[in-house]
Amino acid sequence: MKRWSHAILPTLLLLLTACGEPADRILRMGLASAPLNLDPRYTVDATAERINRLLYQRLIEFDARSMPTPGIADWQRLTSRHYRIRLNARAGPFMHGRRVDADDVIATYRYVLDPDKVSPRRTTLTLIESISKVDALTVDFHLSRTDPLFPAYLTLDILPADLLAKSHDFARLPVGSGPFVLHAWPEPGKLLLQRRNDRQLIELLEVKNPTVRVLKLLRGEIDLLQNDLSPELIGYLASKSSIELQRRFGSNYTYIGFNLQDPHTGDPRVRRAIAHAIDRQAIIDRVMAGAARRAEALFPPEHWLGSGQLTAHGYDPATARRLLSEAGFGAGNPLRLVYKTSSDPYRIRLATIIQSQLKAVGIEVDLRSYDWGTLFGDIKAGNFQLYSLSWVGLRTPDSFRYIFASDSLPPMGANRGRYANSLVDDLLRRAEAAGALPKQAVLYQRIQQQLHEDLPYVSLWYEGQVSAQGERVRGYRLMADGNYDGLAQVSLYQTEEPQDARSAVAH
Amino acid sequence: MGAFLISRLLSALVVMLGVVCLVFLLIHLVPGDPVDVMLGESARPADREALRTRLGLDQPMAIQLGHYFKGLAVLDLGVSLHAKQPVAELLAARIPATLELALAAISCALLIAIPLGIVAAVKRGGAWDWGAMGFSMLGVSIPNFWLGPMLILCFSLWLGWTPVSGREGTASLILPAVTLGTAFAAILARMVRSSLLEVLGEDFVRTARAKGVDEPRVIWRHAMRNAWLPVVTLLGLQFGALLGGAVVTEVVFDWPGIGSLMIEAIQTRDYPLVQGCVLFISLAYLLVNTLTDILYGLIDPRIRDGAGA
Repeated sequence: MKRWSHAILPTLLLLLTACGEPADRILRMGLASAPLNLDPRYTVDATAERINRLLYQRLIEFDARSMPTPGIADWQRLTSRHYRIRLNARAGPFMHGRRVDADDVIATYRYVLDPDKVSPRRTTLTLIESISKVDALTVDFHLSRTDPLFPAYLTLDILPADLLAKSHDFARLPVGSGPFVLHAWPEPGKLLLQRRNDRQLIELLEVKNPTVRVLKLLRGEIDLLQNDLSPELIGYLASKSSIELQRRFGSNYTYIGFNLQDPHTGDPRVRRAIAHAIDRQAIIDRVMAGAARRAEALFPPEHWLGSGQLTAHGYDPATARRLLSEAGFGAGNPLRLVYKTSSDPYRIRLATIIQSQLKAVGIEVDLRSYDWGTLFGDIKAGNFQLYSLSWVGLRTPDSFRYIFASDSLPPMGANRGRYANSLVDDLLRRAEAAGALPKQAVLYQRIQQQLHEDLPYVSLWYEGQVSAQGERVRGYRLMADGNYDGLAQVSLYQTEEPQDARSAVAH
Repeated sequence: MGAFLISRLLSALVVMLGVVCLVFLLIHLVPGDPVDVMLGESARPADREALRTRLGLDQPMAIQLGHYFKGLAVLDLGVSLHAKQPVAELLAARIPATLELALAAISCALLIAIPLGIVAAVKRGGAWDWGAMGFSMLGVSIPNFWLGPMLILCFSLWLGWTPVSGREGTASLILPAVTLGTAFAAILARMVRSSLLEVLGEDFVRTARAKGVDEPRVIWRHAMRNAWLPVVTLLGLQFGALLGGAVVTEVVFDWPGIGSLMIEAIQTRDYPLVQGCVLFISLAYLLVNTLTDILYGLIDPRIRDGAGA
């Protein structure tokens, strides 16, 4: 009997603790999609990566200009191919008690680099030749080639070496050293995180339909939501006094891609005509309710590479018609193109407006929407003339090689439009061989300029970030790349709190 | 009855095998690659191939299908490519919600449709008939993706009676059940009306009335009993469809059912999960149809005797 009570009582107490948390003390955030798998070695979806940022720590982080800055480690460049990483005071303890050390860093990076483990994170790290331990807090990385941007690739979430050795199930039971721990995952689409410093519970709840997400916010069933809202819903929320909206510039880049092997879209005059025929500002102002800014290049102006010096391909229907005429198209012989996009209603709406603007200059566009798998399959196979997509989370200029080098055709890279320019290839080689960042920056800026002239993409806009929160929420900070780091500081307004204190926090 | 049941079950088994083969072929023919979804576009070709080998996707389709059948023989539906959990576990987690919603929606539809259809038939041409058929027309015409949010707006936001969405308690079941049940009730009410009108013109109904049987008894005991067959057919078909998942309603109300699971699986090209979902749905259809056939026999002995002969 005694043994029985010893086993049962702690379990009951644990259950009572888990269930006893008053529902109104939990902050609820509505997500458009929830992760199925939280193993940072294998996740590729943005939501899982954002949640993992809360559960784990990384060696480096990025500043507002997308330059690498120390995360839980400082780095030192000993030679062009030898970097020394030293864990700093920010390296916290794992949830099972032990502080992050050199063995954890080595185990995490070695796991991902092991070809047999087939981690999607391996690609950017293949330049690592070897990793060695210097002392309990210091690790040396030896590279196979020079890359001054190497620290920017050290973005893996650090896992505990002891659990890695035991093949722990990180997909369902994450163990990290970040500001949160996974408190419960009672069902698919609902995760309960607990902040380690004050035990604040945060529930992440999947609510797929954006209208329903907004209605749940208004009814108080969720406290916070972020992005994936149509302009109409943002406008509706803005009209509600009980809701606080936050907006800020984002860096997710939306573009129209061309197939350069197609006889029509391979003609630069046609691509320039399309660039001049699209009134991006009108779409941003009237359809996107200002929730975006015009883009001229892959990286936004605030990125350390910058793109502010590029001259915009402005809206100019007359020039568009002239260029089409020079390319041999006119009223009697209109240009007909197929434009592929996803089945997302908002994307279809934007594509329909672009279709209408192109029609105004004499381009007949056949708009086709597909589910993601089919669209992506067609684009990778080069089975398209025009398509539109977005690049999310680009930070480092190795993206230029990946997207525009002539030897980066799928599946070797993402040069889906089969763009080939020997000058760009040469500039890429020189930039990669450059020993210092300023020299790299100059070369990458020249690449940006060349791409701007060749137009393998028509840049559309950088989509902004928006969040909406109910009256209980205090101190949530919206991040430029849409991550959920703001949850580390957010708090709930307690009803017993004096009203003046509430106002003070709100302002 | 035994021979009737055995023949039904055997034909169900053949249909299941056909469905499994067809789905297996179709999902592999659809453009899109699970390796792309799992590794992202930036993965190296060697890594792609390694993963393809690990998942068995490099083998000829006949061999992959053979492995799948081998697993099925021991009730192993495989492991989800993305969730890394057994497909059977993922399905088992969703089946209670699907059953719950299907039963609630059918109950809601029956509660609305049967009185409405009877009243419309009995009061044919009158205000009740017009009203009932007007409701029926509306019910069929209003899409669930519009009705769902409207019900939420009214009953959750303005009146505060039910939660907006999710599956937390009985209250959360009401709106999705009403959304699904309304369209079904509309079709069912029309079916009840037309079946009953047909039967009400029969000689045995006239005879019953001539014998002085009171009208409710004539309708319920004599006429409705003979009008049930087409209604039961429709019920069976609809219930089968509901078990297959009501995707739009599940998405609107965040109802964690089979339909939304299958859509996610298709989008991510999670082959084992898609196959598991389709297998469950076809099994549900076959089960419900077999039950419907058995019900036919119970309602109308002529069918049972004919099958047994």
